[in-house]
Amino acid sequence: MDAIIQLIHVSKWHDRKAALSDVTLEIEKGEFVFLMGSSGAGKSTLLRMLIGEEQPDEGQIFVHGRNVTKLRPAEIPSLRRKVGAVFQDFRLLAKKSVFDNVALPLIVQGASEKDIRRKVTEALRAVDVDHKKDQLPNSLSTGEQQRVCIARAIVNGPVVLLADEPTGNLDPERTREIMELFKLINARGTTVIVTTHDPHVLNHMNRRVITLVQGVLLSERRIRQGVGA
Amino acid sequence: MRRLFYLVREAWANMRTNRTTTIVAVLTTAFTLACVGIFLLLYVNLRHAAGSLQEDVKVIVYLEDRLPRERVQELGRTLKIDRMVAEVFFISKERALGEFRAQFPSESHLLEGLGENPLPASFVVTLAPNFRSPDAMKGWVERVQTMEGVAKVDYNQEWLSLLAELIGYIELAAIGVGILLSAAAVTIIGNTIRLALLARREEIEILRSIGATRTFIRIPYFIEGAVLGACGSALSLGILKGAFELFRQQIQLTGRFSGIGDMISFFSLSVCLALVVVGMGLGFAGSVVSLLRVGQGRA
Repeated sequence: MDAIIQLIHVSKWHDRKAALSDVTLEIEKGEFVFLMGSSGAGKSTLLRMLIGEEQPDEGQIFVHGRNVTKLRPAEIPSLRRKVGAVFQDFRLLAKKSVFDNVALPLIVQGASEKDIRRKVTEALRAVDVDHKKDQLPNSLSTGEQQRVCIARAIVNGPVVLLADEPTGNLDPERTREIMELFKLINARGTTVIVTTHDPHVLNHMNRRVITLVQGVLLSERRIRQGVGA
Repeated sequence: MRRLFYLVREAWANMRTNRTTTIVAVLTTAFTLACVGIFLLLYVNLRHAAGSLQEDVKVIVYLEDRLPRERVQELGRTLKIDRMVAEVFFISKERALGEFRAQFPSESHLLEGLGENPLPASFVVTLAPNFRSPDAMKGWVERVQTMEGVAKVDYNQEWLSLLAELIGYIELAAIGVGILLSAAAVTIIGNTIRLALLARREEIEILRSIGATRTFIRIPYFIEGAVLGACGSALSLGILKGAFELFRQQIQLTGRFSGIGDMISFFSLSVCLALVVVGMGLGFAGSVVSLLRVGQGRA
């Protein structure tokens, strides 16, 4: 299999404290990976580096064959168009409808009106909020808002989907639904990387788990059954 | 198409969201540009007036007394073929006396006692339009003064030089005030854009995270700056036009300087449009100054 993400001896310091320390890992195309770790373990730093929001102090990062550490500022938008991102706080535009929020990545790319309609409708259907396309995000439940955020992340068919604590604001039932959604997206061929500090999220997931502790890659394992249940 | 619509809509949304700031920015820009406009209007009108006056300026070449007719005719021919001369008109001694009597009938008795007609013959010369500048006139007068048979050459040089000097000062002041106040307009609009940027910082972060380029993020703010500048400039022209008409009305009402009322004019439509475009450019510059910070670094 091909590695879609490669980190080679990556280190990063924030205020003289190691956020990531000599991390080396590979993620294959089509994999579903959990990044586990408590707050401050370096999970979010790692994700930010994958979309060029932060640069490592040492090491190299490759995403979809491109060396992220060597990208010029003008090349970063094209990287981000291939990597969808889902956030714990959803980051939806409050004054725009659900449809307009999901359409944004396509508008940014200059897609045609016809393509925008088709792809947004498909993405909203995939996350089961197409019936709320004309509503404003604040009128939706938190679970629905997270679904809209996922629809926005997958609307332009990214090769990788990054989700930073996507279930942090959700109850167990909504968490289960969102994780099922990620499984579906992964089943269609998209590489999915989910960060979480909550072991319960791993329940009933047969996935690779990478654990970070204070910026150090502590362990890798593949779980077959839920933990902490 | 949707992209363009999105960018324009975003610019409009920016202005609506920060309505008060937008209105204040347009008003302050308008008053700032109106100050520049006053100097510009003064400069344009003085130049126009100077041009009209220079068209009327006639140079009088007085001839020596008892100059032979042949020399007078020769001088007339020399003046007529001069490339700097547009028109030459001869006034004989007799005609000069006749005109004096016609213009000053009560003073004509002063000349009676002198016996002989004391007024000299002269050529009234109108210079060609390209040679009516004070320097060109001065050079021409100095040349003609050395001609044989010419007693004196007269024209209101001092007055013209003074006017040219005054126009020069006003031009300098207009440039100085223009630069200063344009910088002020750029700063005002720049600050408005900066406030809009702060208000929408989160939105900008979202746009960045989904792969929007710097240009895409910046365009609505460029549009906003240009619109603010154009609105400010258009409003300043409205203020100036109102003040100008009031001034002209006052002149006509008081009856003083009534001639000035017909001489002065407001900017032509093309100049007005050019000034709106300049305002738009200043607004755009204000946006550029503010946006230099956005998108700095790699992300």
